[in-house]
Amino acid sequence: MTAPVATTYRKRLRAPKFALALPSIIWYLLFFAVPIAFIVVYSFAAKDGSKLIPVDYSNLSGANYSNVFDETFFKVFKSTLRISTIATIGCLVIGLPVAYFAAFKVPEKWKAIILALVVVPSFTSFLIRTVAWRIPLAPNGFFSKWLVDMGWIGTQGIQILETPLAVQVAIIYNYLGFMILPLFVALDRIDIRMREASKDLGAGRVATFFGVTLPLAGPGIIAGVLLTFIPMCGDYVTATVLGGAKGNMIGSMIASQFSGAQNWPLGSAMAILMIGAVLLSMVVGAAIVWLIAWVFKHPTPISTRIKHSFHERSVSRTREGKTTLFKFDVLPIALTLWTVLVLVFLFIPILLVVFHSFNGGSSFTIWSGNAGVKWWDELFDGSVAWAVMIRFAVLFVVSVILRNVLMRTTKISRRLLNWSGPAAFLLAFVVNGMSTDWYESVFDFASIGDAIRNSFIAAFGATILAVILGGFAGIALARRPGIWTKVFMATVFLILVTPEIMDAIALATWFPRVADFPVIGYPFKNGWGPFNGGMNKLWVGQSLYASAVVTLIVRARLAGLDESLEEAAADLGATPARAFRQITLPLISSALIAGGLLSFTLCLDNAVISTLISEAGSTTFPVALLGATRSTIKPFWGVGAVILFCVTLGALWFVTVVLRRSGSSSSEIAATIAGS
Amino acid sequence: MTQELRILAPDSFRDKLNRRAFIKAGTATAGMAVVLMACGGSDSDSPDTTAAAGDGSKEASGDWSRVINQSSGTLAMYTWGDYDDPALVGALAESSLGVKMKVDYFGSNEDLITKLSAGGGSSSGFDIVVPTGPYIVQMMQKGLIQKFDKTLIPNMVNVDPAFLSQAWDKDNEYSVCKNWGTTGFFYDTTKIKKELNTWQDFLDACMGEASGQCSVIDAAPNYAGPYFWANGIDWNTEDKASLDAAEKFLVEELAQHVKAFDSYPSTKLAEGAYTLAMAWNGDARQAYFRIKDAGGTPENWRWVLGAPDTELFMDTFCIAAGSPNAEAAHAWINWILIPENSITDLEYHGYHTGMKEMEQLITELAPDLVKGDMIFFKSEEVETMHTQILNTSIDRLVDILNKAKAKAGA
Repeated sequence: MTAPVATTYRKRLRAPKFALALPSIIWYLLFFAVPIAFIVVYSFAAKDGSKLIPVDYSNLSGANYSNVFDETFFKVFKSTLRISTIATIGCLVIGLPVAYFAAFKVPEKWKAIILALVVVPSFTSFLIRTVAWRIPLAPNGFFSKWLVDMGWIGTQGIQILETPLAVQVAIIYNYLGFMILPLFVALDRIDIRMREASKDLGAGRVATFFGVTLPLAGPGIIAGVLLTFIPMCGDYVTATVLGGAKGNMIGSMIASQFSGAQNWPLGSAMAILMIGAVLLSMVVGAAIVWLIAWVFKHPTPISTRIKHSFHERSVSRTREGKTTLFKFDVLPIALTLWTVLVLVFLFIPILLVVFHSFNGGSSFTIWSGNAGVKWWDELFDGSVAWAVMIRFAVLFVVSVILRNVLMRTTKISRRLLNWSGPAAFLLAFVVNGMSTDWYESVFDFASIGDAIRNSFIAAFGATILAVILGGFAGIALARRPGIWTKVFMATVFLILVTPEIMDAIALATWFPRVADFPVIGYPFKNGWGPFNGGMNKLWVGQSLYASAVVTLIVRARLAGLDESLEEAAADLGATPARAFRQITLPLISSALIAGGLLSFTLCLDNAVISTLISEAGSTTFPVALLGATRSTIKPFWGVGAVILFCVTLGALWFVTVVLRRSGSSSSEIAATIAGS
Repeated sequence: MTQELRILAPDSFRDKLNRRAFIKAGTATAGMAVVLMACGGSDSDSPDTTAAAGDGSKEASGDWSRVINQSSGTLAMYTWGDYDDPALVGALAESSLGVKMKVDYFGSNEDLITKLSAGGGSSSGFDIVVPTGPYIVQMMQKGLIQKFDKTLIPNMVNVDPAFLSQAWDKDNEYSVCKNWGTTGFFYDTTKIKKELNTWQDFLDACMGEASGQCSVIDAAPNYAGPYFWANGIDWNTEDKASLDAAEKFLVEELAQHVKAFDSYPSTKLAEGAYTLAMAWNGDARQAYFRIKDAGGTPENWRWVLGAPDTELFMDTFCIAAGSPNAEAAHAWINWILIPENSITDLEYHGYHTGMKEMEQLITELAPDLVKGDMIFFKSEEVETMHTQILNTSIDRLVDILNKAKAKAGA
């Protein structure tokens, strides 16, 4: 019995270190490296509009690169970097207090609630949330009119739409969640004793924060900055929807070179330079941070003086605080207020999306319906009066049942539940006043139901792929390091920084080439089972970024655990397969769930890649919506987004329940869902 | 068969014609359909086709499920956003033809071409695509669209000959008119006091009192159009000096005053984003309704057809190469060319669908149509409209638009 085990074990050892990462390596080679290599070649070629792929290779030159350094183009480039940098700093400044508050100032239960509230908005379609900002910011909108009536702004109304400011605000909004989550996870992991020790040693609040908390939160800050800054640079949806002519960003310029101008070579050159610029600015940013840290670490007279003054001031303040009679602590109140404000900010567009999905008009952003008045007319209209009453009755009954169920099952206070009556009445009032026509007819509109279904199939398939590929690659990276690790990590990093539009073009031109290959090309050409070729392409396209994310999460998780458990299992005679199943897999399961959830939401919202590679039968919701944003967005898109939102929320709830059954604490669940 | 192009404001002809005149015209059309079928030598392989065509404008339904069952799957259409009555690509198509449809949207002809090319020319999965006329030549050359089987589209006789046999497709072998439209501008008379009547007025206002509050259409030839039209230069000029001058004006002078490059400004006009917008007539017409929806006063806004010259664009139905349901696609195109359906579509998007006897059709089928003067134009107005020609200048125009965008954003 022992002999065969030993031989297989020895064989395993002889396999190359990167064996587990092999699926990922092949995947990235086939669907990232080679297609991108074509883009690099395009960037040296010339445009030839007469060909199917409008590129002329006969005369390779660097002309496109010199064209990029055109004066006007360069200005857009700079403004993109400026918007992204300000937005990243903005996210950090706005998000840090929230993460700090959630990590240190609230009880366990509230931690989970706050985090859930931060995460939930990102489960609504990114596009529809961006569009929703047009509602309160419109110069003729209700908010603008109110401000004018109050005399706070001029009669021309709010003049923010179609300016860089609108893009700036919306970008901060869109990426804030991606900053808060890693910050929270990093802060939450800080051993509370460190902070206590700092205070015991006489350091005040400020000195503790800058001397202990912030340095310990370093990895979270870096992760947050990377997760926001990189996608911001390539984002073009926000600028297209809100920016107008003045709020142009480089992403939309690259996209228009590919589709509008059909100048793929120039677009390729722009995209490559953009990656360069992103990498460069990150290096510069890292250098600045390192410099600051160095100045503070090395006891030069200035920094010592700064440190000293920090310390002195906070120490003196704590002493003063102890001596004053009224110990009125402003900080928790300020933090609570700030967190509430940020959460309101995060939820404004969501509430508007829900509200406007009841719009009676023909355009999503323009409200035309008089809520709360319609039912009154209907009540006195013999033909529909019964319908109105029945609707009221049904809502009443449902609310009573819900209240009783909630009372039995949860510990929500009675006082809170007593509000359910008035709330139900209000709901009935509103529902009866608003147009629910779009809800009744949403599936009549060409393909919206299909789009929602396709979104789920695509995101689900891509997530499975990402979890398998990323899981194995992550294990290999953490457990079998070698020279290959560096190359592989560089590839993963490159996948994360490549602007989506470039991946999209690379894949869109790559699939037709692959389609003629035997075996590999088959699924993309003919599909298999109930899934057509377009769906297979979507899985591949969406899995790239997602698998890179899963890889990083799994690697981070395993890197934090030493290998002794696996070694012990092996010593006790377990085969590698058994050790993997019984030791490694349970260890990384939370990382896999986290990565899977994160990939699922990313894939569900993927618009740019999906738009270019999807086929007629595989249009997803964001693809359809992106197409619709070019003209008029009808209210039924809001309805679609709400349905999608509810289903996603249901899935999330399910995962939370599973995790709770398995005995995780709420903060662990939050960390899992946050992805680290 | 050769009827003169008579396009008048609907109010002026509504009372001239009665139902009988209309029915006469209808039977005449039906008769011609039969003749054409005979000439085409089509055997009665598709009785449904003849039935639908034979009844001409009266019979809007037919049973196409047989065709669909043969081709298996749903009919996929790739078109411009918000460009078809939802019923005609949804419930009505399903009940009348047995066709379940899927609709996807693109934002420009180049987007359409990129998408079809990316599919290798034949595996995009789309059946019906809706390019603008001049782009058809390029799409034919690249093999992105396929020839019609005209025996399956007998209702093509319902299309006014004035809108058939266009320069890009002389025999309508690949395309048939979906609808046509033109370009003008739309402005808030409470904000811009001066009366604007020509493209020169538009440009002056955009650089003057509406600076930073005006939008232009986000398409290369359309952005350059007003300059050429205002200065009496041929819109399709390939003359380098003219293009250089255009670039100088459009990039250096106009761009900085533009608030947005926006091809569909109607919703944003209602939001109050612009006081002056260059727009296609159908979208400008929508703006009236949207402004009303938003609680504004549409009476304060004025639509002006571009002068002295302006655009005539014609969007067409084509069948994509490698269409999985080509036969069903033919059936649907034939069905949409039934006057009832065509007018339903017209009422939705507000563009002239190029049907014969348009006046009677409107009187009979859509007597409540409002703002008809933004759909139908006098013949002397139509004479000032010119279609785009895709020639060597297009790359330059695209370049100008991109530079203008960069300049506007800087």
